[in-house]
Amino acid sequence: MVATEQGLQTLVHETGGWVASQLEACTRCGMCAEACHFYQATGNPEYAPVWKVEVLRRAYEQRFTPVGRFKSLIGLEKKITDQDLEHWSKLNYYACTVCNKCALVCPMGIDLGSLLHGVRAGLSAAGVVPDELMAAVNKQVEEGSPLGMTDEVWDSRLEWVADEWEEDIPRDVKGADTLVVFSSIEVMKFPTNIAAIAKILNAAGEKWTVSSKAREVVNFGFYEGSEEHTKLFLSRILEGARDLGVKRIVVTECGHAYDALRWHAANWLPEANDFEIIHITGVLGELVSSGRIQLKPGFFDDKGTLTFHDACKIQRKGGHIQEPRDILNILAPNAFKEMTPNREEAICCGGGGGVIAIKDADPIRYAAFELKIDQVNKVGAKTVTMTCSNCRLQFTNSVEHFGLDWKITSLVQMVADAMID
Amino acid sequence: MTWQSALEFARGPLFYGALLFFIAGMLYRLVTVVALGWSKDRVPDKGSKAGGVVRSFLKGILIWPFIPWVKNTFSRNPLIYIGGGLFHLGLFVTILLGTPHMLVWKSLLGFGWPTLPLPVVDWLAVGGIIGMLILLVHRRINPVLRLISGPAEYLAWLVVFVPMVTGYMMTHHLFFRYEVLYTFHMFSVDFLLIWIPLSRISHFMFYFFSRAIHGQQFGKRGVRV
Ligand code: HEM
Ligand code: HEM
Ligand code: SF4
Ligand code: SF4
Repeated sequence: MVATEQGLQTLVHETGGWVASQLEACTRCGMCAEACHFYQATGNPEYAPVWKVEVLRRAYEQRFTPVGRFKSLIGLEKKITDQDLEHWSKLNYYACTVCNKCALVCPMGIDLGSLLHGVRAGLSAAGVVPDELMAAVNKQVEEGSPLGMTDEVWDSRLEWVADEWEEDIPRDVKGADTLVVFSSIEVMKFPTNIAAIAKILNAAGEKWTVSSKAREVVNFGFYEGSEEHTKLFLSRILEGARDLGVKRIVVTECGHAYDALRWHAANWLPEANDFEIIHITGVLGELVSSGRIQLKPGFFDDKGTLTFHDACKIQRKGGHIQEPRDILNILAPNAFKEMTPNREEAICCGGGGGVIAIKDADPIRYAAFELKIDQVNKVGAKTVTMTCSNCRLQFTNSVEHFGLDWKITSLVQMVADAMID
Repeated sequence: MTWQSALEFARGPLFYGALLFFIAGMLYRLVTVVALGWSKDRVPDKGSKAGGVVRSFLKGILIWPFIPWVKNTFSRNPLIYIGGGLFHLGLFVTILLGTPHMLVWKSLLGFGWPTLPLPVVDWLAVGGIIGMLILLVHRRINPVLRLISGPAEYLAWLVVFVPMVTGYMMTHHLFFRYEVLYTFHMFSVDFLLIWIPLSRISHFMFYFFSRAIHGQQFGKRGVRV
């Protein structure tokens, strides 16, 4: 109960005018439900975005509005209990990727994604975060990475990648222009991404480096919704960047990490504005359009139909929508086919927001992925490329689960393969 | 008490009282929300916030299915679009462009404006009423709407529905004497005015906040809203 109180306090604390005015704007029309892939896939009305933010609304109304106070006084609206918070924990952490598709559908334009993040803040303060997610957060607090990428693992993995692919990976170089921060998903599961990015930046003649202090871009505190943990992980990156004196920080293929660092960090840690923060997809766009790297046109045209999956945090919430298209239209002008809906309206992969880290959420996650299977099959693609390793994890895992014969790859990988040396 | 005196009360003191309550109530709602504080956004923009806001409002006004990309949403929620569209259109046209209502505005504001011919307003009012019925039925059958609707939502519906219907019956002298209907119309209008600040019907005020925020959020990221 004490924890619940704390959770409610945090919900209330989250509620500035910004949140309140949006909660007040909701007409309870229910349209947002149809935007949510988890609702679409399961038909469970509790997965409607408006219902996922219900605890936040109740906490706000009971605390701040005369009608809400009156309603709880006469018992029309019940007090929020421990059980409620546990229930909403499941709704929010199992069945929401905070992809913000719902914000595009709401007729009032309510930015549901930020409200849903606010709900997580309350749930995390109440201590009702799913165990597995919390374990990953704690691991990141202690070891610097949720995937167990300790100092030793980092050293040996990077050395191995540099050897195996014969790419130079500059480490802890003071005075470099660009700090590249990888995600442990890439280091541990998709090491070819590291090699690919190294190859591209080296070919472009970029003065870049990685940092052993700022080595993990993944931010499980952001998934959790805890401001304290999010800030801790962000500050590790910013400190590493400051130590090396770089001008810009490049986030590699990781979506929520980019969201946290690019669109939130400066509001918590003003020093974030000392650096230009950009996603590798933006960098690719720059390098290609300025001619600093050259691609072989049509390189992937004879390798079967290819499609691009938009990641919610990099495309819809990050704005890097056009660059991947421009690049794919060089690499595979004929083989590249768009799914529908696409771009900012794309359907989420279902694995983001920490969902993939929670075992009990597997059935819902796979159900949501079936929407993606439909989409990809409609264009008849056998190769799916993307700019987010978390999406890629969901794709590779689900492709195995459903026994599909698709090839899952990444945009940096394709660019690295098709570069004219 | 005669119908005549009840009507006078509902058109006179009660109406002005309700109007004052409405204005004071909405101001209170506005002030409490604004006073909760607005933190400054220190994140550098990628696109244009202002551009996003403009597009957000254009989209909000033209949210109808004509815009190709709302198609997917539309095809999943046709009833809300059609019902909601008919209802709000009928509502706005009758209370702004119907002659009797314009005269009310004129007495309050001191100036009037041209109105639409009665048959046009009349048919749009019918559309509005049908739209509301569609919304109600939909609210009862759609599982999500059943989950998120409580007494407050049905009450809000009723509080708007009664003036619509009594107003329409009055114009057509249906079932009851004119003064009786007029009295009901006025009492229901008075109640609506009181109820708006106490309920979600106040969404039309916060609409301007949420749409602006929406535009800023998408605009600053350089994403089409
Ligand atoms: C800026 C002006 C307004 C906007 C943008 C707006 C928008 C909306 C939207 C998007 C909905 C939900 C979907 C739908 O049913 O269409 C809605 C519902 C509703 N609106 Fe409005 N509205 C406005 C003004 C008003 C006014 C002035 C009233 C009444 C005095 C009103 C009464 C209602 C009611 C009662 C509902 C709920 C209907 C139901 O039960 O489903 N609206 N509004
Ligand atoms: C401000 C207070 C209002 C007053 C004094 C008022 C008065 C009237 C009057 C005098 C009529 C015309 C009756 C006739 O033609 O003989 C009327 C019609 C009507 N009123 Fe109101 N009204 C008010 C507010 C409203 C509101 C808020 C609504 C909707 C929610 C509404 C809906 C209607 C409708 C639908 C008609 C019938 C229009 C038609 O079919 O042409 N009225 N009202
Ligand atoms: S943010 Fe995405 S996953 Fe979460 S409720 Fe909205 S549409 Fe569903
Ligand atoms: S679509 Fe928007 S207004 Fe409608 S219920 Fe969802 S959040 Fe509320």
